Amino acid sequence: MISRATPRSVGRLLSLDEESRLFFRLRITLAWETVGVMIAGARLRLSLVVLLSCLFWAALYGLFVEAFSFLDSLHADVVPLLFNAFFSSLMVMLVFSMAILLYSGLYCSAEARLLLTLPVRAEAIFAHKFHESMWFASWGFVLLGSPMLVAYGVVRESAWTYFVLILPFMLAFVTIPAAVGGIACMALVGWLPRLRLHALSLGITGAAIVVLWLGWSFMSQPRLDAMSAAWFDKTFARLAVTEQKLFPSWWLSSGLLEAARTDDDGRLVSPGLSEAVKFLALLVANALVLQLTATWLARAAYRKGYSHLAGEVPARRRHRAGWLDSLLLGSGTGVRRPLRLLLVKDLRIFRRDISQWSQFLIFFGLLGLYFVNLGSFNYHNTYASMIGFLNLAVVGLILSTFTTRFVYPMISMEGRRFWILGLLPVHRDQIVWSKFLFSFVGGLLPCAMLVLLSDSMLGLSWRLIAQHEYCCLLLCLGLSGIAVGLGAWMPELRESSPAKISAGFGGTLCLVLSSLFIMVVVVVAALPNHMFLLSRALGPTVIAPDGLLAWAGGPWGTALSLVIISAVALAATIAPLRTGLLAFRRLEV
Amino acid sequence: MIEFDHVTRTYGAKTAVSDLSLAIPRGELFALLGPNGAGKTTSIKILVGLLHPSRGTVRICGHDVVADPRAAHLHVAYVPDEPYLYDKLTGREFLQFIADMFGMPRHLARDRIDREVDCFELTEFLDDLAESYSLGMKQRLVFAAALLHDPDVLVLDEPMVGLDPRSVRIVKDLLAARTREGMTVFMSTHTLAMAEEMAERIGIMVRGKLRFLGTVMELREQFALEATSLEQLYLELTSPGGSKP
Repeated sequence: MISRATPRSVGRLLSLDEESRLFFRLRITLAWETVGVMIAGARLRLSLVVLLSCLFWAALYGLFVEAFSFLDSLHADVVPLLFNAFFSSLMVMLVFSMAILLYSGLYCSAEARLLLTLPVRAEAIFAHKFHESMWFASWGFVLLGSPMLVAYGVVRESAWTYFVLILPFMLAFVTIPAAVGGIACMALVGWLPRLRLHALSLGITGAAIVVLWLGWSFMSQPRLDAMSAAWFDKTFARLAVTEQKLFPSWWLSSGLLEAARTDDDGRLVSPGLSEAVKFLALLVANALVLQLTATWLARAAYRKGYSHLAGEVPARRRHRAGWLDSLLLGSGTGVRRPLRLLLVKDLRIFRRDISQWSQFLIFFGLLGLYFVNLGSFNYHNTYASMIGFLNLAVVGLILSTFTTRFVYPMISMEGRRFWILGLLPVHRDQIVWSKFLFSFVGGLLPCAMLVLLSDSMLGLSWRLIAQHEYCCLLLCLGLSGIAVGLGAWMPELRESSPAKISAGFGGTLCLVLSSLFIMVVVVVAALPNHMFLLSRALGPTVIAPDGLLAWAGGPWGTALSLVIISAVALAATIAPLRTGLLAFRRLEV
Repeated sequence: MIEFDHVTRTYGAKTAVSDLSLAIPRGELFALLGPNGAGKTTSIKILVGLLHPSRGTVRICGHDVVADPRAAHLHVAYVPDEPYLYDKLTGREFLQFIADMFGMPRHLARDRIDREVDCFELTEFLDDLAESYSLGMKQRLVFAAALLHDPDVLVLDEPMVGLDPRSVRIVKDLLAARTREGMTVFMSTHTLAMAEEMAERIGIMVRGKLRFLGTVMELREQFALEATSLEQLYLELTSPGGSKP
């Protein structure tokens, strides 16, 4: 036994406050340096991203103003229902998103390895990674949610207090699912490390059963006329699950709706404000309690969980190729073999990366569920057609989140393996093309099926279904082109986290460009159809049969719109890909 | 200063470290040798608190690294084989961050940073972002950061990877000087010549067990092969059907 020697270290243990301040300073310094590097080295890119983000925000704001004006004319309970549905979906997504981000940040990152060897509390490390992950997980919510909430306040002519309260409400709300995700992540790793894969499999199987059951129950119900009183009643009853009073999403919706209330003269209603403050207090109190719980859990379980996970032995894989791999490798001539080999490699990485395919399944599964649900209503042609195009836009937007989150970082992620690829007899172009093909084919199959499902449930004509499928094809082409092209144009070869790459500068640009592209394609494609329905609804006395509006709604108008969206999609595919290919050829590693 | 007490660590059915008992006193430079997969890195990770032992305890300056990790970490510094730096921090900012983590007063931190910057010749790139550093620069900066608070125990995992010959010399001289002042060094390495040159005692691990513990001279005596090089002894000891002392 060694006697305790006189220590020579000049260090001392910090208080929790000092640790928190230190991590806060670290985050500020890192953010400051990142912005400084951008301003110094890529002013044009930065300006472009800021400009496009503003445009995107403004476009969303305009869209929401129109939507809320329209909804106000319908049913009084539509907006609360929509708020509840939106925020409850977001709550579920944030829980998953935070759990995945924290898993990677707390247990798999080199930074965590460094911090765990320093004399710092486990809960301080958790808090540091928690705040970082919360920012990565919720910036999309801020980008989408803020124009929606501001637009609602403007349409309802709310008092200034509503606009002031938006940010505290959003912050308090986001903290709750974020903390739940963190607690779930640490509990699963800390106490059930071996069960986490089983838990995930069980979760996915359970979700699949629920989806099938719901699908069956919706399909077996009688069809109702859309926008009728019965339709509203049915829809409200179905979405009542999102209006549970114990859900933080309900507190958020109710609080915001109360804060937006004004009297007939547009003056602030005092009871509304006090109710809003109560809901805000409820959100803040719960956010704090969950944060405290997560902190306590981090103290008890983080180091232990890290050790458990680091000690796990990955299951040995038998050396055998999957049927899809064999099909890809065995098809075609030897000329394109390197391209196919690269595709097979990406396919294997995708299959083995649980964070990729689980999110893919969850998002497209939820969308599929919603589309199946559409089948239980009868629609007027106008609504059916409009909903069909909106669904097409939603499919595109979901795909764009995947191309931004997973496809855009693919070239950057090759950075650490570049010495292998660089030495192989493979032209650099083939690396870029393989990513493009992977994204295009991988996106097209589920998207085309979802669009077909949506249109079939809406009872659309084959002509419209064909048009939507063509738009879907163009969307997949363009979104893949934008993500791969930008990824090759501005790769971040030193960054190892795909989440950080996609949340960074180029990723934001990719998301903004993708969203603009989707909006242009869907609006231009929908316009002739809208004109056709408008001219039919208003009749020849209002819309002259030989006038421009009637022409736009006719076959020539449709043909022109198809030409325009084809040209836009080709430009969106070719321009970024070409730029990316040129930059990637010149790239020095 | 360092005490492994019957430490065992398993990975599933595999035992990575088996019943390791080892005591390293103040001011000793100890080198742990062994083939890949012998359990060296696992032992180091247990020592710095990244892994918890399945059985047994590890103490640094009397502090159990599992029960009281912060107190133990206050006395230890770790230089891993793959150093991590914040890409968007400059070298100076990183050193200041580490000094702050150890609660060093500003004036003392400034003095120590200047001392390590001079020692590891970091001035030229100290105010550049770490993302522009080569592996050798990163390694030198991590060494500087590790020594800022005068740790009682320095744990090194393959410390010379990426260092140029001049930097290797600097590190060797520094380790010799610091051990004379009372710092204990626990080093894992594949560089046998370095172990022979610097270590007072060596340990040779094979398949999770400590097959030999002592000086190079004692190793030779045990094998009764006076003229044999350390390399030959090492190969003999770590081969699948290797000799038993």
